[in-house]
Amino acid sequence: MTGPIAVAWALLVLVGGAPLILGAGLVSRRLASGLAQLLALVAAGLGVVAVMGAHGAYTLPVLRTAPPGASTYLPLFPARLATTSLVATIAATVLLVVLAVQVFAASYLDDDDRRPAFQATVSLFAGAMLLLVVSRDLVLTLVGWEVMGWCSYLLIGHWSRKAAARRAAYKAFLVTRLADAAFVIGIVALIAIAGSSDYGAVVQHADGSRATDVAMTALVIGVLGKSAQIPFQDWLIDAMEGPTPASALIHAATMVAAGTWVLTRLAAALHSATVASWVLACATAATMSYAAFTAFLQTDVKRILAWSTISQVGVMLSPLAVAETAVDGQGAAAGHLFSHAIFKALLFLTVGWLAVLAGSTAARDLSGVGATSIFATAVWGLGLVSLAGVPFTVGGLSKEHVIAVAAWTDGDGPGLRQGMVTAALLVTVAMTAAYATRAFLIVARPRTVPGAEAGPAPRTGLLARATLVALAVATLAGGLVFLVSPLDPGHLDLPLLGVSVVLIATGVLVGLRLRPDDAADPAPLMTRASRGWGADAAYVAVVAKPVLALARVVAYVDREIIESYVRAPGWVVSLGGRTGVRAHAPERVSTDLLWVVLGLLVMAGVALWG
Amino acid sequence: MTALPSAGLIDLDYWVLAPVLAPALGALLVLVVDAIAPRARGLHLPIGLTSLGAGLGALPYSVASATPTRTLCTPGPEGRCFYETGPTGLTLQLIALAASLLVLLMLGPGTRHLDRMQRGGAAVTVALVLAATAGAAMVVAARDLPTWLVAIELATLPAVALVALSRGRGAEGGALSLLMVSLTSFALLAVGIGLWVLATGDASFSTDTLRVAFDYPERHRVLLLAILFLVAGLGFKLSAVPFHTWTPQAFVVADEPIAAYLATVSKAAAVGAAIVVLGPLVSLTAMGRDDADSIRLVVGVLAAASMTLGNVLALRMDDPLRLLAWSTIAQAGWVLAPLAMLTPSAVSASVAYLLVYVLGSLAVFGVTAAVHPRAEGAGGRSLAAYLGLARRSPLLAVVLGLGLLALAGLPPAVVGVVAKIAAIGPVVATGQWWLVAVLVVNIVLGIAVYLRWLLYAVRPAPADAPTTRGERLDPGLLIALLVISAALILLSLLPGLGLGLAR
Repeated sequence: MTGPIAVAWALLVLVGGAPLILGAGLVSRRLASGLAQLLALVAAGLGVVAVMGAHGAYTLPVLRTAPPGASTYLPLFPARLATTSLVATIAATVLLVVLAVQVFAASYLDDDDRRPAFQATVSLFAGAMLLLVVSRDLVLTLVGWEVMGWCSYLLIGHWSRKAAARRAAYKAFLVTRLADAAFVIGIVALIAIAGSSDYGAVVQHADGSRATDVAMTALVIGVLGKSAQIPFQDWLIDAMEGPTPASALIHAATMVAAGTWVLTRLAAALHSATVASWVLACATAATMSYAAFTAFLQTDVKRILAWSTISQVGVMLSPLAVAETAVDGQGAAAGHLFSHAIFKALLFLTVGWLAVLAGSTAARDLSGVGATSIFATAVWGLGLVSLAGVPFTVGGLSKEHVIAVAAWTDGDGPGLRQGMVTAALLVTVAMTAAYATRAFLIVARPRTVPGAEAGPAPRTGLLARATLVALAVATLAGGLVFLVSPLDPGHLDLPLLGVSVVLIATGVLVGLRLRPDDAADPAPLMTRASRGWGADAAYVAVVAKPVLALARVVAYVDREIIESYVRAPGWVVSLGGRTGVRAHAPERVSTDLLWVVLGLLVMAGVALWG
Repeated sequence: MTALPSAGLIDLDYWVLAPVLAPALGALLVLVVDAIAPRARGLHLPIGLTSLGAGLGALPYSVASATPTRTLCTPGPEGRCFYETGPTGLTLQLIALAASLLVLLMLGPGTRHLDRMQRGGAAVTVALVLAATAGAAMVVAARDLPTWLVAIELATLPAVALVALSRGRGAEGGALSLLMVSLTSFALLAVGIGLWVLATGDASFSTDTLRVAFDYPERHRVLLLAILFLVAGLGFKLSAVPFHTWTPQAFVVADEPIAAYLATVSKAAAVGAAIVVLGPLVSLTAMGRDDADSIRLVVGVLAAASMTLGNVLALRMDDPLRLLAWSTIAQAGWVLAPLAMLTPSAVSASVAYLLVYVLGSLAVFGVTAAVHPRAEGAGGRSLAAYLGLARRSPLLAVVLGLGLLALAGLPPAVVGVVAKIAAIGPVVATGQWWLVAVLVVNIVLGIAVYLRWLLYAVRPAPADAPTTRGERLDPGLLIALLVISAALILLSLLPGLGLGLAR
């Protein structure tokens, strides 16, 4: 079986599985859950097959049903799936994370009556991401992108009985839709420029012209929205209202990484587009350091992870904006996408486990919970080590690669853009180590809050435990993949490695020293940071209110001015009807005859002089 | 021309004449049976249905034989035929006979039912319906002025009697109004015929004599006046504005099936008569001689006035029969508009529109016949009586919806859309843009008229409404409604069928 065909089957299993899971849910929740896990397992197996399978392209037959010769637009839209070993590796990573999430969701949402719907949505979501990863066609990419947007709305709002969850879902949807508008414009422009939706053709036609630059800038704006980069960052924080497995899925391998992947595929086009690169560089440099700083000040562990995702996605995107060659940027971004998927899935699933123990994800409640479960503390620590980028963990390797690519130049010294991004990366390294230290200490340090007793041991199944073990192993040894796979290990810059080790150490020290007391009331600064520095209020003030005001103006103009043109004929007809009824009211023979005489006169007039 | 048998003074083909003869003989037979066996009242309706069925059954014979089908021809090379039907005429006969059959079914099922509705007994009612139908079938085939005039009066006067015999309050008033305008229209037609003969020197609707008459300016003027009078006279039968005033008055007093008869069979007769009058002009146009601009304008103005006034007033009506009366006036405009263009394709478009109009009207009238008798007391005869119909009686609501949507020209009654497009087509082709504008405005108005009624039917009944009796439909009415719905659905699925019939 070649790679693309295996992937096409996996796509069918995931997307076709969604309604099956829903249907099974009508029979029994256990059946649905088992089916969801089985389908995810099959899909993951197919993903592994795809990695081993040969390269090649595969045209989706279902999109080829038009009669031959009937259409001239089909060459524009080849609807092709293609795998290279890089694509297959990312696809397999996505599928494995999805498997982990499905297994974990089965136990985590054990008492949720809408678990089948959740797992069906996860399946569809995964299918959309897979389509986006393996498509060799911008239109298919857009399909995956949009379906993912919709599924993320469903997953974040899964507990729709909670007002906060509903609002978070709306917010995620609206903010990403706003950016999606730019994304669609970018895609359409790229297709128009290339005359084809095929990635190869699009990249080939991207020659650094102004049109390409505009298109790529629009595309980058769309990516910033989906990847929760400044100024769109705030939706991802609210998305923590969703169930933890959904967060794991959105943060680890799908939603936020999708933008990175699209830009990775278009790296050559982006490389030639100056404005787009600058926009991306500024946004990611600002986001990664800002988000890492904010993460340190959170009072909720899940929110620490959310801000860390925003920061790490910034790290992931940055090499694409500044790499000296497109291939370098591609390798670094894809590598960090891979390692982030692994350690972030591990961290989210672990925090879900810990939250079951503590009953909440607030730092105050989680404080000292590690004492209940050595296992959970251990995997939590492993995940954080990788997040902090300690050398030779999977996160460390890919992060060093990103820094090396960002800093490396072809002899003429780093430009302003590269310097800015490299500096931001180094600052982020230190702050990441700091907040990772804090996150570990919250869990591992002995409990100081009086009165709060540890809850009962979670009823996590053996499978969930095995999932965490597998992810933990991958976190430690995932770096080996860099040696055997096309995830280019890149060039490790030894001096920079030394610098970052020093920075990590500094960060850990800072984390140890400046650790806020979780038991006490949070400092005002932390309260503000927990609210995302008021980004939500800014969204309302800068976007929502002006838009609503404009809408009111438009509605007023429509109702009072334009609609009166529509109503006027109604008045005329109504008036005519009233007059007509009065004219016909007598119903006497004499009036009838009067009509006739008048009618004859008019007719004669029209006939003879008309 | 087919070879004529030389024996005898005049040639007679009973098969060709059957669509006219069958209902006429049926009417006679009903009266004879009534005279011989006054107690055998159950026989009248079956006789009526059978004779109409026989008339319909004879139509394929004419279709299969050479077109145009002629009979009643005088011998010799100069021979003339008094009876001639082409595809258009056959379609009109089909419409008249079938609509009349469906009206009789609605009047059923038994004599007691008929007696309750109409005074004078079942025999009189059935005989009148058959006689008028014979007239309607005859008028489309008439090729000479006297036959034409007799036929159109044969189609009209029994209808006046039917209204007069209705049991509704004020029936005499309605019938009087109808009779007055009938007499006036007869007078106008007679004057018109006189002028026609004066101008052409010929008592037949012949293209040749018409062409000759057009060549002399003074005869031309007289001929125009003749056509004007004839059109005015027919305006009554069509209930076109300004000769429409009798329509609401007669519809309100008549029973629903009788009103349906006036709206469909009488209308088909009038359209047939108009096509016969305008036929020579159409032939002249087809030959490239076009002297009929003023006629085109007059008929176009009549059409525009009819549909506009009809729709505007129908919008304000609350009595369903009054609403239907004004809707009939509006639809007369729609039939006249393509006809006014005086081209062969316009004539068939007009007939196609008539076919759809007749089907839609029969559906709606059938539903009113089912709803009104039950709604006594519960809002009486008003649109409010239709509130909750969709819940109470889904079948009636569906038929009503089909009929109203066909009349409005809205999907899913695709047939209505096709009819509207067919009617606009010739007007656009002739380039009468002012009339196109009026037609477009009236599409919008018409949609408002018919959807307003339909909204009543789909809205829930008020909570305090007395529950109306859910008695079963009369079998005759049920069959009629099912047949009409089937025809509407079939024509909606295969719209080409209806257009093809008229061509």
